[in-house]
Amino acid sequence: MKVSLSWIRDYVNLPADMDLKQLAYDLTMSTVEVEDVEYLARRFDNMAVGVLEAVEPHPNADKLRVCRVALGQGRCEDIVCGGVNLREGMRVAVACPGAVVRWHGEGEPVTIKASKLRGVASWGMICASDEIGLGDLFPAAGEGEILDLSEFDAPAGTPLAQALDLDDVLLEIDNKSMTNRPDLWGHYGIAREIAALYDLPLAAIEPYTAETGADFQVEIQDPQRCARYIGVAMDGVAVKPAPYWMRSRIWKAGMRPINALVDITNYVMLATGNPTHAFDADNITGHIVVRRARDGEELTLLNGENLSLCGDDLVITDSEGPVALAGVMGGAKDSILPTTQRVILEVANFESMGIRRTSQRYDTRTEASARYEKAVDPERCEQALALAMRYFHQLYPALDVTGLCDRYVTPLKRAEIDVNLTWLAKRLGKDLPREVIRGKLELLGFDVAMEGDNMHVTAPTWRSTGDISIKDDVMEEVARLYGYDRFEATSFTTTFTGAINQLDQNLLRSIKEYLALRCGMQEVYTYPWMNDVYVNAVLGGTDGVLRLSTPPAPDLSCIRSSLLPNLCEAVAKNERYFSEFAIFEEAQVFFDRNYTAPYDPAESLPEQRRHIAAALACTGADVTALFRRAKGVLEAMPRYTHMEGFSFRKEQRPAWADGAAWLNVYCGEEKIGDLGLLAKKVSLDCGIKNLAVMLFELDATRLRPFASRTNRFTHLAEYPETDYDISMLFDAATSWTEIYDAVMGKKASALLKDAAFVDEYRGRQIPAGKKSVTIRLTIGSGEKTLTSQEIETAAGQVMKKLEKKLGAALRTQ
Amino acid sequence: MKDQINDILAQARAKIAAAASEGELQNVKSAYVGKQGSLSLLMKEMAKLDPAQRPEMGKLLNQAKAAITAQIDEKRLALKLKASEVPADFDCSVPGILPAGGGLHPITQMCYDLNDAFRSMGFEIFAEDDITSELYAFDKLNFPPNHPARESMDTYWLAGHDSGPTNEKLCLRPHLTGGSVRYMQTHKPPYRFVYPGRVYRNETTDAHHERAFFQYEALIVDKDITFTSGKVMIKSILSKVFGTDVPVRMRSGFFPFVEPGFEIDMQCQVCGGKGCSVCKHVGWIEVMPGGSPHPNVLRAAGLDPDEYTGFYVNIGLDRLVMMRYGVDDVRLFHSADLRFLKQFR
Repeated sequence: MKVSLSWIRDYVNLPADMDLKQLAYDLTMSTVEVEDVEYLARRFDNMAVGVLEAVEPHPNADKLRVCRVALGQGRCEDIVCGGVNLREGMRVAVACPGAVVRWHGEGEPVTIKASKLRGVASWGMICASDEIGLGDLFPAAGEGEILDLSEFDAPAGTPLAQALDLDDVLLEIDNKSMTNRPDLWGHYGIAREIAALYDLPLAAIEPYTAETGADFQVEIQDPQRCARYIGVAMDGVAVKPAPYWMRSRIWKAGMRPINALVDITNYVMLATGNPTHAFDADNITGHIVVRRARDGEELTLLNGENLSLCGDDLVITDSEGPVALAGVMGGAKDSILPTTQRVILEVANFESMGIRRTSQRYDTRTEASARYEKAVDPERCEQALALAMRYFHQLYPALDVTGLCDRYVTPLKRAEIDVNLTWLAKRLGKDLPREVIRGKLELLGFDVAMEGDNMHVTAPTWRSTGDISIKDDVMEEVARLYGYDRFEATSFTTTFTGAINQLDQNLLRSIKEYLALRCGMQEVYTYPWMNDVYVNAVLGGTDGVLRLSTPPAPDLSCIRSSLLPNLCEAVAKNERYFSEFAIFEEAQVFFDRNYTAPYDPAESLPEQRRHIAAALACTGADVTALFRRAKGVLEAMPRYTHMEGFSFRKEQRPAWADGAAWLNVYCGEEKIGDLGLLAKKVSLDCGIKNLAVMLFELDATRLRPFASRTNRFTHLAEYPETDYDISMLFDAATSWTEIYDAVMGKKASALLKDAAFVDEYRGRQIPAGKKSVTIRLTIGSGEKTLTSQEIETAAGQVMKKLEKKLGAALRTQ
Repeated sequence: MKDQINDILAQARAKIAAAASEGELQNVKSAYVGKQGSLSLLMKEMAKLDPAQRPEMGKLLNQAKAAITAQIDEKRLALKLKASEVPADFDCSVPGILPAGGGLHPITQMCYDLNDAFRSMGFEIFAEDDITSELYAFDKLNFPPNHPARESMDTYWLAGHDSGPTNEKLCLRPHLTGGSVRYMQTHKPPYRFVYPGRVYRNETTDAHHERAFFQYEALIVDKDITFTSGKVMIKSILSKVFGTDVPVRMRSGFFPFVEPGFEIDMQCQVCGGKGCSVCKHVGWIEVMPGGSPHPNVLRAAGLDPDEYTGFYVNIGLDRLVMMRYGVDDVRLFHSADLRFLKQFR
């Protein structure tokens, strides 16, 4: 909302030297956010009133004229201009060198410089209204029409802003910051707040007291939806321009002046915040009735739109049917026409929620509906009526009020609240003197009565439509008017009942730090919705997948039941720039099943789990190394993050996995995730061109953190232990697990301490159907240093056992 | 002969000093003290001397030999200490081999920094589900029944769960505050916890608007809290994020779930409060809403608002991280683009 400071000064006498920065700051801190303070005159810097002394033809152009322009104090300049309405003696707006204009009101701002036009020197520019941003205030009748300022009596050379009374300051107030303050949606409301902030007197709007014509009636059939309706029937009006002061204020507030009849209603709304409306009385038949619409009833709005109404809409009707959509927009039939001579003025109060529903239903938001939606108080109708009638009489001296009917069917009840003063002091953290509290509240229009420890507060009418309803609201009023800056920060005291030990939170963080910092993987975030392409490719279907009813895009309606589709998408995206990388994500996944009420029995929430998933990608054919790297990340994870260990089984192939390279991950007897190579077909469906991708996904909600670290100490070996590598040929189908179990199961030698996998080789020099496996044996004794003979004997015993149990053979070179 | 000895000694000393390698040193040794060395030759000439002079000359010769030998040993040790395994032109400016390059998402990093700060003040960390009901997204938070935020153009409702009574309507949570109510319902006061998490809004995205973003909520509820305690929480957050004490101000603001409500501004860190394009020339930047939980919210959590009150803040972490690092497009956070993420280690 734009607020004109000169308009505010009508109601509150601000000191002439008021620091406007401070005013904006104080309003922002205590009331509403002032987003911008604009010195309007700056838009018209280097612009002045000029008088055309001579208008001569241009020697080289038919459509241009060379004007001799008087600029005051004897100064005259030649300006070339193509205006179609130039005439000698005309007063014009001159953009002098340095002024900023827009050619024909369009495009980027341009700074005026003295120059030559078709060979003739031109000092500045004679402006059309839209070229200096005044198109709405002075609409041009046609193309090429120059702004004619002859109606203003400013002498040549007067700065333009001064001549047009635009030397004003505009405050731009963030509408969002006052949605809860219906009283502020007009200049008078803002003035009232400023008066309270600075303890300045506020000018009263004297009520309108006039005869009530008896033969004009208003009937309200729905007192819930319409608390009050004042109708005034008037003769002796005509459509003409409003006076300049009224037009310029409407323009400053961001609206377009139309004609005096419409402008009065808009001006009153901008002043009081109470919308008003004028009907052409000649098109109203009978009396005004405010009622609910009938289902299917038709109404053509002012903007030409045809509505088929419903029973929830409130309408203004005459004896023939609806004439306006109450509080939203007038109808076409009864709108002000050039011929209008009699009007009916509406000053009314409508219930906020109903207005909101109707304006949403027809997608029609207007200045009026925006205000009614905030819950305007019905007492304000009196101010709106008083101002409106003041201007009708002022603009139409021959005005004849033929009827006035004020139906106030649901009187406003002022909010009354008891506030305990001890409570107030405790919540404020400051024991303010009672007189300070009373003073601040009274400045805001509250009535205050104190008795003992109790303060009985009665809110003013303009704050009693829901805004002020509980004692916390009263506390806020005291605190903001006293000034939030004046409350010092107070530290809070803590009672520690023990260290905070959140095992689940700690585990999740340990895992992410392990993956990022130790395993060299990069954490990524993706959206909770998945693209259908990746859902189908990776998950192989949408069974059990929840969907959004209004997704960001038609193909993004599935929300994730697995982190893998989005990780595959991330791999495809990054393949353009990187040939080797590893990424992981931790986020929630959702399933359309197992609905439970974990918090509140009234709810039924779907199954939601926290997953951790990763993708390791590289080019090149060494899939074994990639597989082992991914598996190693999982194998070492429990140890580094202090949770119960994992085991691997091969029971159920994940839909996305390669035919052979995959494992299920178990924690105890519970399956907690999968690990595997992304199948080539899936990879291609995901748009991954060259990278081999290993994936794993764990259900973090099934991981079991240890209560404390569980490392174990073993004594350091007293005598040296020796690593001894053996390479043997096995059947290609023999697994490492079988080999390890054979070596370590029932040990062939008491000196054997451990066995480890070194590598596996197939290919040249190895017979078909065989593979060579190198095993590192750790051999040692707790009693003595072994001789090489003893070591070799122990190794030999192991090899013999492997020969016997698994049919292994020594590898001959 | 005495002069000859002194000459030899001086020559040998100069040569030892000039020797640059073990080999050169060996040459010097044989030239002076070796079997055919000049001192050895002089030794042989002793026989020709007057016997009276022999003891003195012999002593001088031995001293000279010992001095040269000692100096050679000393030099040898010095040469050993300077010896190198690599060519003299070994290039030490070659870059090092970096450890495996991984990292946490910049928002996770910021979130963990904040968690550490709040834990040091005795706050718990709370986490809760992303899908919630309208009951907890809006009703329990004192949102009026017709509040615009409830509409589908603002909130992601789930298909098949997007109509009916509010306890049956399900959505991706539009903010974290409903979860705070759940925490309060399931724990005993006093409360002191932080609640980081992702929230979702049905919006048109651009460089400054996202559909999924990260919030960080902090709540304290006790019997003797005033809204001024909130300033301590706010300052803790901002000084952790920006590394310096950031001036903040609280001003009047309106949110359904707090009373009183505040908009919390921090001094613009780009211009230091002087005014610049980032802060729209006001010197302050709006960073978070805050306030005391509305009595209706406390009631929804099963508390008596006459007894308990508190302070709440809710920070958009994305925006703070953007400001901290000068990131100019919020959509980068959910892009999974490693070119972006690798910059934050």
